[in-house]
Amino acid sequence: MDNTSKMKKLVIIPAFNEAESIVETVRDIRENAPEFDFVVINDCSKDRTLEVCKKEHIKVLNLPINLGIGGAVQTGYVYAYHQNYDIVVQFDGDGQHDARFLETMANTIINEQADMVIGSRFIEKQGFQSSGVRRIGIRIFSFLSCVLFGAKITDATSGMRMCNRKVMELFIKDYPRDYPEPETVCRLLRKKCKVMEIPVEMKERSAGVSSISFSRSVYYMIKVTLAILIERLR
Amino acid sequence: MTLQAQVIIIVFLFFVLAVIVNMIRQRRLELKYVLLWMGCDIALIILTCFPDLMNVLARILGIQSPMNMIFFLGFLFSLIIIFSLTVTISHFTAMVRKMAQEIALLSDELNEKTKKEE
Repeated sequence: MDNTSKMKKLVIIPAFNEAESIVETVRDIRENAPEFDFVVINDCSKDRTLEVCKKEHIKVLNLPINLGIGGAVQTGYVYAYHQNYDIVVQFDGDGQHDARFLETMANTIINEQADMVIGSRFIEKQGFQSSGVRRIGIRIFSFLSCVLFGAKITDATSGMRMCNRKVMELFIKDYPRDYPEPETVCRLLRKKCKVMEIPVEMKERSAGVSSISFSRSVYYMIKVTLAILIERLR
Repeated sequence: MTLQAQVIIIVFLFFVLAVIVNMIRQRRLELKYVLLWMGCDIALIILTCFPDLMNVLARILGIQSPMNMIFFLGFLFSLIIIFSLTVTISHFTAMVRKMAQEIALLSDELNEKTKKEE
Protein backbone atom coordinates (compact mmCIF):
# COMPACT_ATOMS: atom_id res chain seq x y z
CA MET A 1 0.00 0.00 0.00
CA ASP A 2 2.82 2.37 0.83
CA ASN A 3 4.34 2.82 -2.61
CA THR A 4 3.59 6.53 -2.62
CA SER A 5 6.44 7.47 -0.33
CA LYS A 6 9.05 8.07 -3.06
CA MET A 7 6.84 10.55 -4.85
CA LYS A 8 6.94 14.28 -4.34
CA LYS A 9 3.56 15.44 -3.17
CA LEU A 10 2.30 18.98 -2.68
CA VAL A 11 -0.79 20.51 -1.08
CA ILE A 12 -1.94 23.79 -2.63
CA ILE A 13 -3.93 25.95 -0.21
CA PRO A 14 -5.54 28.91 -1.98
CA ALA A 15 -6.27 31.55 0.66
CA PHE A 16 -8.33 34.70 0.50
CA ASN A 17 -8.88 36.24 3.95
CA GLU A 18 -8.26 33.02 5.87
CA ALA A 19 -6.08 34.41 8.68
CA GLU A 20 -8.28 32.78 11.33
CA SER A 21 -8.21 29.26 9.94
CA ILE A 22 -4.99 28.90 7.96
CA VAL A 23 -2.83 27.86 10.92
CA GLU A 24 -5.30 25.16 11.94
CA THR A 25 -5.44 23.90 8.33
CA VAL A 26 -1.65 23.66 8.14
CA ARG A 27 -1.48 21.91 11.52
CA ASP A 28 -3.99 19.35 10.23
CA ILE A 29 -1.78 18.65 7.19
CA ARG A 30 1.43 18.47 9.22
CA GLU A 31 -0.16 15.98 11.61
CA ASN A 32 -2.30 13.84 9.36
CA ALA A 33 -0.45 13.99 6.05
CA PRO A 34 3.23 14.46 6.99
CA GLU A 35 4.50 13.19 3.62
CA PHE A 36 3.00 16.16 1.83
CA ASP A 37 4.73 19.49 1.31
CA PHE A 38 2.38 22.43 1.28
CA VAL A 39 2.20 25.95 -0.05
CA VAL A 40 -0.31 28.70 0.67
CA ILE A 41 -1.26 30.93 -2.25
CA ASN A 42 -2.25 34.27 -0.75
CA ASP A 43 -4.62 35.86 -3.27
CA CYS A 44 -4.21 39.44 -2.09
CA SER A 45 -6.01 38.89 1.22
CA LYS A 46 -7.25 42.01 2.95
CA ASP A 47 -6.75 40.53 6.41
CA ARG A 48 -3.57 39.32 8.12
CA THR A 49 -3.24 36.01 6.21
CA LEU A 50 0.24 36.87 4.91
CA GLU A 51 1.55 38.01 8.31
CA VAL A 52 0.15 34.93 10.04
CA CYS A 53 1.80 32.62 7.48
CA LYS A 54 5.16 34.38 7.83
CA LYS A 55 4.99 34.26 11.61
CA GLU A 56 4.27 30.53 11.60
CA HIS A 57 6.93 29.86 8.92
CA ILE A 58 4.39 28.56 6.45
CA LYS A 59 5.57 28.64 2.84
CA VAL A 60 3.49 31.22 1.03
CA LEU A 61 3.30 32.50 -2.53
CA ASN A 62 2.02 36.05 -2.35
CA LEU A 63 0.05 37.31 -5.36
CA PRO A 64 0.39 41.09 -5.79
CA ILE A 65 -3.04 41.37 -7.42
CA ASN A 66 -6.25 39.47 -6.82
CA LEU A 67 -6.52 36.73 -9.44
CA GLY A 68 -9.64 35.00 -8.13
CA ILE A 69 -9.80 31.41 -6.94
CA GLY A 70 -8.98 30.03 -10.40
CA GLY A 71 -5.87 32.15 -10.86
CA ALA A 72 -4.67 31.39 -7.33
CA VAL A 73 -5.04 27.63 -7.73
CA GLN A 74 -3.41 27.78 -11.16
CA THR A 75 -0.44 29.57 -9.57
CA GLY A 76 -0.13 26.53 -7.31
CA TYR A 77 -0.19 24.18 -10.30
CA VAL A 78 2.50 26.20 -12.08
CA TYR A 79 4.66 26.10 -8.94
CA ALA A 80 4.13 22.35 -8.47
CA TYR A 81 4.95 21.63 -12.10
CA HIS A 82 8.17 23.64 -12.06
CA GLN A 83 9.25 22.14 -8.72
CA ASN A 84 8.80 18.66 -10.23
CA TYR A 85 6.05 17.45 -7.96
CA ASP A 86 4.46 14.15 -9.04
CA ILE A 87 1.17 14.64 -7.28
CA VAL A 88 -0.60 17.81 -6.29
CA VAL A 89 -3.79 18.37 -4.33
CA GLN A 90 -6.02 21.40 -3.81
CA PHE A 91 -7.10 21.93 -0.24
CA ASP A 92 -9.28 24.75 1.12
CA GLY A 93 -7.77 26.99 3.78
CA ASP A 94 -11.03 27.55 5.62
CA GLY A 95 -11.11 24.31 7.61
CA GLN A 96 -13.67 22.52 5.42
CA HIS A 97 -11.36 19.74 4.31
CA ASP A 98 -9.81 16.97 6.35
CA ALA A 99 -6.15 16.00 5.78
CA ARG A 100 -6.75 12.41 6.94
CA PHE A 101 -8.06 11.60 3.47
CA LEU A 102 -5.01 12.82 1.53
CA GLU A 103 -3.12 9.55 1.96
CA THR A 104 -6.05 7.52 0.58
CA MET A 105 -6.39 9.90 -2.35
CA ALA A 106 -2.70 9.54 -3.21
CA ASN A 107 -2.95 5.75 -3.04
CA THR A 108 -5.94 5.85 -5.37
CA ILE A 109 -3.99 7.92 -7.92
CA ILE A 110 -1.12 5.42 -7.85
CA ASN A 111 -2.91 2.11 -7.55
CA GLU A 112 -5.77 2.89 -9.92
CA GLN A 113 -3.61 4.97 -12.26
CA ALA A 114 -6.15 7.77 -12.06
CA ASP A 115 -5.39 11.20 -13.49
CA MET A 116 -7.59 12.96 -10.98
CA VAL A 117 -9.17 11.91 -7.70
CA ILE A 118 -11.98 14.03 -6.27
CA GLY A 119 -12.92 13.93 -2.60
CA SER A 120 -16.70 13.60 -2.67
CA ARG A 121 -19.11 14.41 0.16
CA PHE A 122 -21.95 12.50 -1.44
CA ILE A 123 -20.74 8.92 -1.79
CA GLU A 124 -21.10 7.90 1.83
CA LYS A 125 -23.08 10.98 2.78
CA GLN A 126 -21.05 11.54 5.94
CA GLY A 127 -20.12 14.86 7.48
CA PHE A 128 -21.42 18.28 6.46
CA GLN A 129 -23.62 17.89 3.39
CA SER A 130 -23.86 21.52 2.21
CA SER A 131 -27.13 23.46 2.17
CA GLY A 132 -30.22 22.30 0.29
CA VAL A 133 -30.02 24.89 -2.48
CA ARG A 134 -26.38 24.08 -3.17
CA ARG A 135 -27.10 20.36 -3.33
CA ILE A 136 -29.63 21.01 -6.11
CA GLY A 137 -26.95 22.87 -8.06
CA ILE A 138 -24.47 20.06 -7.54
CA ARG A 139 -27.10 17.54 -8.71
CA ILE A 140 -27.57 19.53 -11.90
CA PHE A 141 -23.83 19.45 -12.61
CA SER A 142 -23.77 15.69 -11.94
CA PHE A 143 -26.60 15.28 -14.40
CA LEU A 144 -24.88 17.45 -17.03
CA SER A 145 -21.54 15.67 -16.73
CA CYS A 146 -23.34 12.33 -16.96
CA VAL A 147 -25.37 13.22 -20.05
CA LEU A 148 -22.66 15.14 -21.89
CA PHE A 149 -19.55 13.19 -20.95
CA GLY A 150 -20.92 9.84 -19.78
CA ALA A 151 -19.25 9.80 -16.37
CA LYS A 152 -20.81 9.65 -12.95
CA ILE A 153 -19.38 12.51 -10.87
CA THR A 154 -21.27 13.00 -7.62
CA ASP A 155 -19.41 16.10 -6.39
CA ALA A 156 -18.12 18.13 -9.33
CA THR A 157 -17.89 21.29 -7.21
CA SER A 158 -15.58 19.73 -4.63
CA GLY A 159 -12.49 21.85 -4.00
CA MET A 160 -10.55 18.85 -2.72
CA ARG A 161 -8.97 17.37 -5.81
CA MET A 162 -5.72 15.53 -6.40
CA CYS A 163 -4.06 15.10 -9.77
CA ASN A 164 -0.93 13.91 -11.55
CA ARG A 165 1.52 15.72 -13.85
CA LYS A 166 -0.51 15.10 -16.99
CA VAL A 167 -3.42 17.07 -15.52
CA MET A 168 -1.09 19.73 -14.11
CA GLU A 169 0.11 20.38 -17.65
CA LEU A 170 -3.47 20.84 -18.87
CA PHE A 171 -4.32 23.15 -15.97
CA ILE A 172 -1.25 25.32 -16.51
CA LYS A 173 -2.32 25.95 -20.10
CA ASP A 174 -5.84 27.00 -19.25
CA TYR A 175 -7.84 27.36 -16.04
CA PRO A 176 -11.06 29.36 -15.62
CA ARG A 177 -10.89 32.50 -13.48
CA ASP A 178 -13.85 31.88 -11.21
CA TYR A 179 -15.95 28.85 -10.29
CA PRO A 180 -13.42 26.54 -11.98
CA GLU A 181 -14.24 23.13 -10.51
CA PRO A 182 -17.14 21.68 -12.55
CA GLU A 183 -15.83 23.10 -15.82
CA THR A 184 -12.34 21.67 -15.38
CA VAL A 185 -13.66 18.23 -14.37
CA CYS A 186 -15.64 18.19 -17.61
CA ARG A 187 -12.56 19.23 -19.58
CA LEU A 188 -10.63 16.28 -18.16
CA LEU A 189 -13.50 13.96 -19.06
CA ARG A 190 -13.49 15.32 -22.60
CA LYS A 191 -9.74 14.68 -22.82
CA LYS A 192 -10.43 11.07 -21.77
CA CYS A 193 -8.59 11.43 -18.47
CA LYS A 194 -9.42 8.94 -15.74
CA VAL A 195 -11.37 10.86 -13.08
CA MET A 196 -12.28 8.97 -9.91
CA GLU A 197 -14.04 9.88 -6.70
CA ILE A 198 -13.45 8.65 -3.18
CA PRO A 199 -15.70 9.33 -0.20
CA VAL A 200 -14.51 12.05 2.21
CA GLU A 201 -16.05 13.94 5.06
CA MET A 202 -16.17 17.70 5.03
CA LYS A 203 -16.84 20.10 7.83
CA GLU A 204 -18.74 23.32 7.87
CA ARG A 205 -16.26 26.14 7.25
CA SER A 206 -14.77 27.34 10.53
CA ALA A 207 -14.03 30.84 9.24
CA GLY A 208 -14.41 33.03 6.18
CA VAL A 209 -17.30 33.25 3.76
CA SER A 210 -17.98 31.14 0.70
CA SER A 211 -16.76 32.57 -2.59
CA ILE A 212 -20.36 32.03 -3.74
CA SER A 213 -22.90 34.14 -1.85
CA PHE A 214 -26.58 33.41 -2.28
CA SER A 215 -27.21 36.41 -4.53
CA ARG A 216 -24.51 35.25 -6.92
CA SER A 217 -25.69 31.66 -7.16
CA VAL A 218 -27.99 32.34 -10.12
CA TYR A 219 -25.10 33.90 -12.03
CA TYR A 220 -22.96 30.95 -10.93
CA MET A 221 -25.43 28.36 -12.26
CA ILE A 222 -25.84 30.12 -15.62
CA LYS A 223 -22.13 30.68 -16.11
CA VAL A 224 -20.99 27.21 -15.14
CA THR A 225 -23.77 25.50 -17.12
CA LEU A 226 -22.84 27.51 -20.22
CA ALA A 227 -19.16 26.77 -19.66
CA ILE A 228 -19.87 23.02 -19.47
CA LEU A 229 -21.98 23.13 -22.63
CA ILE A 230 -19.24 25.02 -24.49
CA GLU A 231 -16.69 22.54 -23.17
CA ARG A 232 -18.71 19.81 -24.91
CA LEU A 233 -18.41 21.75 -28.19
CA ARG A 234 -14.62 22.07 -27.97
CA MET B 1 -42.71 43.58 -39.07
CA THR B 2 -42.99 41.53 -42.27
CA LEU B 3 -42.26 37.81 -42.20
CA GLN B 4 -39.30 38.44 -44.51
CA ALA B 5 -37.74 40.92 -42.08
CA GLN B 6 -38.37 38.55 -39.18
CA VAL B 7 -36.60 35.66 -40.92
CA ILE B 8 -33.62 37.80 -41.95
CA ILE B 9 -33.20 39.26 -38.45
CA ILE B 10 -33.48 35.89 -36.75
CA VAL B 11 -30.95 34.26 -39.09
CA PHE B 12 -28.58 37.16 -38.45
CA LEU B 13 -29.01 36.95 -34.66
CA PHE B 14 -28.37 33.20 -34.63
CA PHE B 15 -25.29 33.77 -36.77
CA VAL B 16 -23.98 36.31 -34.23
CA LEU B 17 -24.68 33.88 -31.37
CA ALA B 18 -22.81 31.11 -33.23
CA VAL B 19 -19.83 33.43 -33.80
CA ILE B 20 -19.72 34.34 -30.09
CA VAL B 21 -19.93 30.70 -28.95
CA ASN B 22 -17.27 29.71 -31.43
CA MET B 23 -14.92 32.43 -30.19
CA ILE B 24 -15.37 31.25 -26.59
CA ARG B 25 -14.73 27.72 -27.78
CA GLN B 26 -11.41 28.83 -29.27
CA ARG B 27 -10.64 30.71 -26.04
CA ARG B 28 -10.48 34.06 -27.86
CA LEU B 29 -13.26 35.43 -25.63
CA GLU B 30 -13.73 35.06 -21.90
CA LEU B 31 -17.20 33.76 -21.06
CA LYS B 32 -17.52 36.18 -18.16
CA TYR B 33 -17.29 39.26 -20.39
CA VAL B 34 -19.61 38.06 -23.16
CA LEU B 35 -22.54 36.94 -21.00
CA LEU B 36 -24.06 40.41 -21.46
CA TRP B 37 -23.73 40.19 -25.26
CA MET B 38 -25.26 36.72 -25.31
CA GLY B 39 -28.11 37.96 -23.10
CA CYS B 40 -28.85 40.85 -25.50
CA ASP B 41 -28.72 38.55 -28.51
CA ILE B 42 -31.15 36.06 -26.95
CA ALA B 43 -33.48 38.86 -25.81
CA LEU B 44 -33.58 40.19 -29.38
CA ILE B 45 -34.30 36.71 -30.76
CA ILE B 46 -37.26 36.38 -28.40
CA LEU B 47 -38.57 39.84 -29.33
CA THR B 48 -38.28 39.10 -33.04
CA CYS B 49 -40.04 35.77 -32.73
CA PHE B 50 -42.92 37.30 -30.78
CA PRO B 51 -43.29 40.91 -32.02
CA ASP B 52 -46.46 41.31 -29.94
CA LEU B 53 -44.24 41.31 -26.87
CA MET B 54 -42.87 44.66 -28.06
CA ASN B 55 -46.34 46.22 -27.96
CA VAL B 56 -46.89 44.88 -24.45
CA LEU B 57 -43.48 46.14 -23.29
CA ALA B 58 -43.98 49.54 -24.92
CA ARG B 59 -47.32 49.92 -23.16
CA ILE B 60 -45.79 48.98 -19.80
CA LEU B 61 -42.95 51.48 -20.27
CA GLY B 62 -45.40 54.15 -21.46
CA ILE B 63 -43.80 54.54 -24.90
CA GLN B 64 -46.26 55.12 -27.75
CA SER B 65 -44.51 53.49 -30.68
CA PRO B 66 -42.89 50.04 -30.31
CA MET B 67 -40.22 51.09 -32.83
CA ASN B 68 -39.15 53.97 -30.57
CA MET B 69 -38.90 51.52 -27.72
CA ILE B 70 -36.60 49.25 -29.74
CA PHE B 71 -34.27 52.20 -30.45
CA PHE B 72 -34.41 53.26 -26.82
CA LEU B 73 -33.69 49.75 -25.49
CA GLY B 74 -30.90 49.23 -28.05
CA PHE B 75 -29.30 52.49 -26.95
CA LEU B 76 -29.68 51.56 -23.29
CA PHE B 77 -28.13 48.11 -23.79
CA SER B 78 -25.18 49.65 -25.68
CA LEU B 79 -24.63 52.13 -22.86
CA ILE B 80 -24.70 49.32 -20.26
CA ILE B 81 -22.13 47.30 -22.21
CA ILE B 82 -19.87 50.33 -22.77
CA PHE B 83 -20.12 51.25 -19.11
CA SER B 84 -19.25 47.72 -17.97
CA LEU B 85 -16.19 47.88 -20.25
CA THR B 86 -15.14 51.16 -18.63
CA VAL B 87 -15.43 49.54 -15.21
CA THR B 88 -13.32 46.60 -16.37
CA ILE B 89 -10.66 48.88 -17.86
CA SER B 90 -10.41 50.87 -14.62
CA HIS B 91 -9.95 47.63 -12.75
CA PHE B 92 -7.22 46.50 -15.15
CA THR B 93 -5.41 49.85 -14.91
CA ALA B 94 -5.14 49.48 -11.14
CA MET B 95 -3.95 45.89 -11.54
CA VAL B 96 -1.25 46.72 -14.08
CA ARG B 97 0.07 49.53 -11.90
CA LYS B 98 0.28 47.23 -8.89
CA MET B 99 2.07 44.55 -10.91
CA ALA B 100 4.62 47.06 -12.24
CA GLN B 101 5.33 48.29 -8.71
CA GLU B 102 5.73 44.74 -7.45
CA ILE B 103 8.18 43.94 -10.27
CA ALA B 104 10.17 47.10 -9.49
CA LEU B 105 10.44 46.08 -5.83
CA LEU B 106 11.45 42.53 -6.77
CA SER B 107 14.15 43.58 -9.21
CA ASP B 108 15.50 46.01 -6.62
CA GLU B 109 15.60 43.21 -4.05
CA LEU B 110 17.37 40.97 -6.57
CA ASN B 111 19.91 43.70 -7.42
CA GLU B 112 20.74 44.28 -3.77
CA LYS B 113 21.24 40.56 -3.27
CA THR B 114 23.63 40.14 -6.21
CA LYS B 115 25.56 43.24 -5.08
CA LYS B 116 26.05 41.71 -1.64
CA GLU B 117 27.22 38.42 -3.14
CA GLU B 118 29.80 40.23 -5.24
